[in-house]
Amino acid sequence: MFRITRAPIVLERLLRAVRDPAAGALVVFLGTTRNQNAGRRVVRLEYEAYGRMAEAEMRRLAARAKRRWPIRRIAMAHRIGLVPVGEASVAIVVSAGHRGEAFTACRWLIDRLKAMVPIWKREHFRGGRVWIGPQAGAPRRLARAARRRGER
Amino acid sequence: MRVRLRFFAALREQMGARAERTVRAGTTVGALWRALVAERPELGATRVRFAVKEAYVEPSYRLADGDEVAVFPPVSGGA
Repeated sequence: MFRITRAPIVLERLLRAVRDPAAGALVVFLGTTRNQNAGRRVVRLEYEAYGRMAEAEMRRLAARAKRRWPIRRIAMAHRIGLVPVGEASVAIVVSAGHRGEAFTACRWLIDRLKAMVPIWKREHFRGGRVWIGPQAGAPRRLARAARRRGER
Repeated sequence: MRVRLRFFAALREQMGARAERTVRAGTTVGALWRALVAERPELGATRVRFAVKEAYVEPSYRLADGDEVAVFPPVSGGA
């Protein structure tokens, strides 16, 4: 299951999608929207995606992960539109025979998702909003803070 | 030949979500972008990536009639 969704992410659906009798481990990553960034209070987050390509790119990442590690199944979902602070904007679930490869693959998948999948985040502050990522018009301070955190 | 363009995030706000252009056969994605930047110099400040048929392509990719080219500012999904 690889899905871009406007509705809240339902973790139970992803768990069902990766269930596998040969799996001894099931690792879940949930990315949740944070209430502050670069010293500013964030009131809500907004995401935009190139939907069909984002789903295709998630599928390609999952295929690469399966070639690298002995993974059973993978499910990924990313929410778009307005997401209130504290809710999940992204979920990745990986099942594998053993926990080591499940953790490793899940970590790799979220790192690659942030670098490759065509999704954009806009942070809303009191009195303004800004696209995240080193874009024209983005305050340099925010771009620098993002680089320090290892984001792109 | 005709190609369609799609823009996202901050670029969408500058350029609109969709556009169409007539280009010469054999035009590369990079050349198309340079032509757009020549018309709108403020675009030159954005680092961009390109996708055709829902997959990333290099700037050297040669366009075909009817291609849809997506132009992305740096992605920032996740939490």
